[in-house]
Amino acid sequence: MKKRIQFTVNGHAVAVKAESHQMLLEVLRDTLHLTGTKYGCGEGECGACTVLVDGASVDSCLYPAFEIEGRKVTTIEGLMGARNQLHTLQKSFVENGGIQCGYCTPGMIMSAKALLDETPHPGADEIRRGISGNLCRCTGYVQIIESIAKAAEKEQGNE
Amino acid sequence: MEDNLNIVGKRVVRSDSLAKVTGRARYTADLKMPNMLVAKVLRSPHPHAKILAIDLDGARKVPGVKAAISGFDGSGIKWGVFRYTQDHAMLPTDKVRYIGEDVAAVAAVDEETALEALSRIRVDYEPLPSVFDPLEAMREGAPIIHEQYKNNINIHVHIDVGDVDKAMESAFLVREDTFKAAGEAYAMMEPYAVVASFQNGFLDLWMPNAGPHVRAKALANLLKMPLNKVRVRHINSGGAFGGRSEVAPADLVASLLSIKADRPVKLVLSREENATSSRQIHDMSATIKTAMSKDGTIVAKDLRAIYDGGAYSSTGPIATSVPFYVYEECYRFPNIRYNGYRIITNKGIRGMYGCHGRAFLAGNEAQMDLMAKELGLDPVEIRLKNGLRAGEMTATKSRITSCGLQETIETTARKTDFQKRWAKPQKLEGIGMGCVAIMCGFPMGFRSGSSCYLKINDDGYVTLVTGVVDNGQGNESMVIQAASEILGVPMEDINLVNADTEITNLDPGAYSQAAAFVSTNAVKIACEKARKQIVAIAAEKLAVSETDIALKNRLVYSVANPEKKMPIAWVVREAFARAEPVVATGTFFPDIDLEREWISRPWGQMAGTFSYATSVAEIAVDSETGMITMPRFTAAHDCGRAINPMAVEGQIEGSVQQAGVAAITEGNLWDGGHLLNPDLLEYKVPLACDMPEIDAIIVESGDPVGPFGAKEGGIAIRMNAYSAVACALTNATGVLFKEMPLTPDKVLEMVEKATEEKG
Ligand code: FES
Ligand code: FES
Repeated sequence: MKKRIQFTVNGHAVAVKAESHQMLLEVLRDTLHLTGTKYGCGEGECGACTVLVDGASVDSCLYPAFEIEGRKVTTIEGLMGARNQLHTLQKSFVENGGIQCGYCTPGMIMSAKALLDETPHPGADEIRRGISGNLCRCTGYVQIIESIAKAAEKEQGNE
Repeated sequence: MEDNLNIVGKRVVRSDSLAKVTGRARYTADLKMPNMLVAKVLRSPHPHAKILAIDLDGARKVPGVKAAISGFDGSGIKWGVFRYTQDHAMLPTDKVRYIGEDVAAVAAVDEETALEALSRIRVDYEPLPSVFDPLEAMREGAPIIHEQYKNNINIHVHIDVGDVDKAMESAFLVREDTFKAAGEAYAMMEPYAVVASFQNGFLDLWMPNAGPHVRAKALANLLKMPLNKVRVRHINSGGAFGGRSEVAPADLVASLLSIKADRPVKLVLSREENATSSRQIHDMSATIKTAMSKDGTIVAKDLRAIYDGGAYSSTGPIATSVPFYVYEECYRFPNIRYNGYRIITNKGIRGMYGCHGRAFLAGNEAQMDLMAKELGLDPVEIRLKNGLRAGEMTATKSRITSCGLQETIETTARKTDFQKRWAKPQKLEGIGMGCVAIMCGFPMGFRSGSSCYLKINDDGYVTLVTGVVDNGQGNESMVIQAASEILGVPMEDINLVNADTEITNLDPGAYSQAAAFVSTNAVKIACEKARKQIVAIAAEKLAVSETDIALKNRLVYSVANPEKKMPIAWVVREAFARAEPVVATGTFFPDIDLEREWISRPWGQMAGTFSYATSVAEIAVDSETGMITMPRFTAAHDCGRAINPMAVEGQIEGSVQQAGVAAITEGNLWDGGHLLNPDLLEYKVPLACDMPEIDAIIVESGDPVGPFGAKEGGIAIRMNAYSAVACALTNATGVLFKEMPLTPDKVLEMVEKATEEKG
């Protein structure tokens, strides 16, 4: 079954046609050409497809497209501020080496964003738990955790 | 080592990170082209079966299907990296040899149509007896998988140095043990994907790959096309770890479909297909017999390793040899024998891995510890005693030019209070050490060297063209950083054009750990030539001597009188005006013995240099559950000189995860020819919460030939982190491990055995 759905992506209202079996990941990548969100497993195991829906992090590969009606989606492409300013988290990942192959990075950053929105000053263990749904095969997570911790510190400084 | 460096050695932001952090970095599956088709592959349900017929008519009739192919549409050529390993048609026409093997494929306007078409393909098989265990496969009467491999022995590497038997006879202490390890999954986060676009006789290809030139060569052969018409293009790669080094069946599939359909084709493998049908890692066993003199000197080794090679040769001779070499490059062996067998079985194709050979390497290290203990020595003493030093030769005649092994051992030991803690382990707590060396590049014929071309544009911005490949390690940023140092321009002024077979010259790629030592050297040489040209013109213009000139911050200036300066861009324009634009090429070819061959002549200089590393794991075992926890991991890596310490540390930390923690969690599970854990739920890639606290230590031995003293940085920890864990477990329990991964059931067995022995 095909249906027209309307929702907001990165602050822009969009209307797309989607099939009942389609997941949000497909709609983002194939229909809206937002390829920053990655496919890693399609089964909710890796977190590469993490986006925010109404502020909460979800695996977009498991999120039925029909259920996105009327909601607000934020993807990695929507994290930058005005005049292409990097978000504190993005800046921190760049500066602290939280990126190697980069494939897990968009999902990792979106999970980190959800974490910091909820817990602005997480301890190392809270960060570990916060990204426990995101696999990274390259980094051993050390510089990722550091990137998130330092971003939290920065945000605190900005408050 | 060169001092006074401005940017080399600094923790710089990697050049590739901005695109990656904004979601703008493109990976293969992100590519979209006009008229692009979606491809799907029909895979073998049988581990071993004769192909009687493949009928594609039903598929072709489905509206929206633009091409359907099988091996019968190919050239019939079989690929192999070596003349004696040419056994892989990529799309078979005679028989299938593993579950998941590519049999036929379609390209259609969308995924649904492609799937519909797949279901209409008819393949007649005649199932054949199959064999999954290498020992069974070697037995007389076992099903033969390739006619040319008697007893399914694909590769036999035989090395025999000195007189092993004699040395064994007169040795003070001799011990023999057997170790096993399950093969791992590469589990790169990006599932394999290929885009092929055939137009006007030219084939353009994008896929995550570690060596575009080798890939193009293989495809050119398979498709009977000249190399300048098969163009492998640059694209980001979501991790490789050795698993993206060779041509994949999917490459041929997408190419044939694109040629047939005359349209671009995209093939994206699912997570499961990535596990069953791209590449896997060898299951293996190793029997290790070691002889020591009373003072702990290793006098002889007799080693036998059996690798489950799966259905095809892949890089067989290399995979069969590397564990042995990284070991003999680390320790002194006057008498050593190695028999490495790679056996063909009805399982998926196995390739090289950044952590390859864990049963062999961890087995050797753990056994050494037990023997040392018997002789009243500890792991630090025995490693320092037997470890190679700069200036020495390995058993198979490679000279060691720089060696930080001792420093890595001593530093990690000091930082962990190793000797004291090892001597008195708390009950079921343990500390263990693993060492290894690794070659920075190995003989790949004329592909062992690298070339770089550079030009400086009239605005002073630099274009750097090299074959260097980045699979996430930071190789791109590394060469930009090196160029920035020499040319005196910031990294952001340098545009790197790389990993494209039509534009760049041959390069080993992100394979054989050659990027730092080989590719960066080529870049350095090219930059130095360009710099010389700039210096000559500037000296003339500023009326100072050439030795007084320095380049920094886009300026060329007199060191004695910094007021005398001019922008590099002016010099470049002057050079244009003189009809001598600033362009340069640099080529570096490592000093290796090109006569060396993996099977027929396994001796001679293996690589230009070797890097060294030591890992120390601290673990605790729960005697009731058999669970291992690992609170701390200390790893020291002699990478010659860290061009970007932040990147090297990242490599070390990733290695601790992929080899160290993986020693506890990771292994493929099989039921006959069925891979039971092709997903990421059952296959346990360590999570953030599984990681120990890591102390990553950089040791800089300053290689005399390496660029700025640099050697490979990262893989050596990948090849010894599991040894440290295995040794820590031996320290905790007093017995040797039998099989990896060290899952609770196996650990409990060890604990029980230890209790019995104490009995
Ligand atoms: S792609 Fe969604 S969790 Fe892996
Ligand atoms: S950076 Fe490669 S998977 Fe995380």
